[in-house]
Amino acid sequence: MTLGLMAGLLFTPLAWAVLTLLVDFRKGRVVTWLGMAVQMLVSLGLWAVVASDGGFLYLLGGWQAPLGIELRVDGLAVTFVLLTAVVAAACGWHASIYLDPDKAWHRYFWPLFWFLWAGLNAVWLGGDLFNLYVGLELISLAAVGLVALGGQADALRAAIRYLMAALLGSLAYLLGVALIYGQFGTLSLAGVTALLNSAEVPAGLSFALVLMLLGLALKTALFPMHGWLPPAHGIAKSPVSALLSALVVKASFYIAARLWLDLGGHLGSYALAQLIGALGGIAVIWGSWLAFRQVKLKQVVAYSSVAQIGYLFLLFPLTWGVSDAISLQAQQGITLQVISHALAKAAMFLSAGNLIMSVGSNRVDALAGVSRFLPFSLFSFGLAGVSLMGLPPTGGFAAKWLLLQASLASGQWWWLGVLLAGGLLSAAYVFRVYQASFIDDTDIDHFFHPSRSLEVIPMILALLSLGLGLMAEPVLSVMSLPFEAGRGQ
Amino acid sequence: MMRFLGVAIMVAICLAFAGGLALTVWQIAGTPAPVNLPHLLAENLDASGVDHPITAVLLNFRSYDTLLEIGVLVIAGIAGISMAKTTSLEDPDLRTSDSLLYALQRWFVPLMLVLAGYLLWAGSDRPGGAFQAGAVLAASGVMMRLGGIPMDFLRPGMLLRFGLALGFSVFLLVAVASALAGSAFLAYPEAFAKPLILIIEVVLTFSIAMVLLALFVSAPVNRTEEPEEGEAG
Repeated sequence: MTLGLMAGLLFTPLAWAVLTLLVDFRKGRVVTWLGMAVQMLVSLGLWAVVASDGGFLYLLGGWQAPLGIELRVDGLAVTFVLLTAVVAAACGWHASIYLDPDKAWHRYFWPLFWFLWAGLNAVWLGGDLFNLYVGLELISLAAVGLVALGGQADALRAAIRYLMAALLGSLAYLLGVALIYGQFGTLSLAGVTALLNSAEVPAGLSFALVLMLLGLALKTALFPMHGWLPPAHGIAKSPVSALLSALVVKASFYIAARLWLDLGGHLGSYALAQLIGALGGIAVIWGSWLAFRQVKLKQVVAYSSVAQIGYLFLLFPLTWGVSDAISLQAQQGITLQVISHALAKAAMFLSAGNLIMSVGSNRVDALAGVSRFLPFSLFSFGLAGVSLMGLPPTGGFAAKWLLLQASLASGQWWWLGVLLAGGLLSAAYVFRVYQASFIDDTDIDHFFHPSRSLEVIPMILALLSLGLGLMAEPVLSVMSLPFEAGRGQ
Repeated sequence: MMRFLGVAIMVAICLAFAGGLALTVWQIAGTPAPVNLPHLLAENLDASGVDHPITAVLLNFRSYDTLLEIGVLVIAGIAGISMAKTTSLEDPDLRTSDSLLYALQRWFVPLMLVLAGYLLWAGSDRPGGAFQAGAVLAASGVMMRLGGIPMDFLRPGMLLRFGLALGFSVFLLVAVASALAGSAFLAYPEAFAKPLILIIEVVLTFSIAMVLLALFVSAPVNRTEEPEEGEAG
C-alpha cells in the first residue's frame, strides 16, 4: 500500500509530463485533469498513512544511504506534498481555462507544469544533499521555461535574469555540498547530522553552511537579493505567477530551513542567525513599502511576496540557541506561514489575473468600478489579503501569533516590531487596491466577464487560507509526528 | 569615487570568498572523511550489473538523480523549442555551402557515429556512457546541419517531441515497472540489471543527442510574441 502510494507519487508527475508533451493544449488539458485527480488522491493517501502510522524512509532502487538515495517521508514532508497538490491543482485548473488554447506555444505549458510539480515533490521528500540540488534544478528550469513561455522581450529579459539568479544560487549551494561531501564522505543529510552529533565539529565547515544558505537565500529572494523576483513573477501569466510565488520560492527556503535545523546547531552562530533574521525583517518592511508604491496590480502582489518571504527567515534567529519548546513553536509558526502564504498568494495572483482579464489593463488605477462587475474575484483578493495582514481567524494570524510567542519566550522582543509593522503595511497595500476598485465615477461600463470557474478557484484557495487558522491544530499535529527511522520498506 | 568604491567592495568580496574557500579546502584536505564511499561502492559493484563504478553510480545506485537530470535536459529542450521562431527548425538560410566542410563531413560523420557507438559501449567497464555518446552524436548532427543535409525530424512536430521524451520515458517505465513488481522505485531485479542498464543507456544516448541538437537548431527566438496580460496586444 505505502510502496504503491510512493511509486504513484513519484511516477505520476513525470509520466504526465511526457504524456502532455506528446499532445496539444486541448488534449493536454483533459489529460492533466485526470493526472491532477490521481496526484491528489495519492497525496491524500500518503498523508493519511503518515498521519496514522508515522513517517518512514523510502530507499530508492533498494540501496541504503550513503550508497543510494533515501527519501525521508515524514509528517512535514507529506504536509507539503499535500499543500503542493492542492495549490498546483488549483493553478492547473485555472490555467486550463485561462490560457488561450489557440496559441501554439501554450502546448508546452503542461509538460513544464508537471515537471515543476515533480521537482517540488522531490524537494519535499529529499534526504540527500545532491538529490535536493537536482530537485532545485528541475524546479528552476521548469519555472524559467514557464515565465518565458511565448513572451515578448520583457518576459524573456525577466526569465533570463531569473535563470541567472537561480543558477548562481544553485552553484553556491552545490559548492557547499561539495565541501560537506569532502569533509564527511557522505551526501545523506541524516548521515551528516549523525556524524556532527557524534564527533567534534571540524573547524572551517561553517563556510560550507554559509555558502549553501547564501545560494538558497538568493533563490528564495531574501532582501537584498530579491531583485529578480518581481519582474519574473509579475510578467508571467497569472497561473504561473501563482505557482512561482506560492510554491517555487518555498522549495529553496525549505532546504535552507532543514539545513539550519540539522546542521545550524553545530555550524551556525548567533551572529549568523541574527543577520539572516534582520535581512528577513528588512524584507518585510521594504517589500511591503514597495508593494504599496507599485503602479501595476501584479507587481503589488509580487512585492508582497518579497515581504511575506521575509517572515520565513525569522525561523533562523528563533530556533538558534533556544529551548526545544520555543524552537518547536517557531517551526510551527513558520510552517503555518508557509502554508497560509502559499494558499493566500495563489488566491491573490489568480484573482488578480481575473481582474486584469476583466478590465483589460494591468494597472491598479484601471480597476475603478470593477467592484460592481467582478465582486467575487475582488472578494477573493481581499480574503487572501486578510490572511497576509494576519487578522484572526486566518492562517496568517495563527502563524504570526506563534512567532510572536516564540520571540517573547526567547527574549528576542525586537522581532515584534517587524511582525506589527509588516501587518500594518500589508493592510495598506491591500486597501489601496480596494480603494481603486471602489471609485465609481468613471465612464467605463463594459467589462469582460471571466467564466465562473475562474472565479471559484481563487475563492476556494482564499477560504482554505482563512480556515487554516481554525484547522491549525490538526495540521500541526501531523507535522510534528515522531519519525521512526526503522519503519518502511 | 563611487565607482572606485564599488570596485573595491567587489574585490574585497571576491578575496574573502576565495580566502574562505581555500581555508576550508585546506582544512578538509587535512582530515580523513569518516565515511569511505569509494570502498563501499567497490564492495557493491558486483550487484550493480556493470563493471565501471561511475556507470554503476549513475545508473544503479543513484539512478534517481540521473532520472531527474534527464528530466532537466528534457525541460531545457522543451523551453528551447517553445521559443523557436520558424515552423521548420531547418531554416535553409542558415546553411553554409562550404565545399571544404562538405568534403570533411563525408569523412567525419560516419567516424563520429562509430565513435558514439563505441563510447556508449565503453561505459560498462571504462569511462564513457550515454552522456558522452549523446554529446558526440549531437556534434555530428550539428555538423550535418551546417553542411545542409536535410533533417526533417527537427521540425517542432510530433517526431521531435517524441525523440526528446523517448529516453526519459523508457527510464521512467523501467523505474515504475520495478515498483509494480513489488520492490522500490528504480530497484532493478539483479538478473536483469545489465540488460536494463544497457537499454536505458541506448535510448538516453539518442534523447540526449536530440535535446542538444534541438537547442542548437532552435536558437532563433519567436517573433510572434504574446503581450503581457492587460497590455494591448
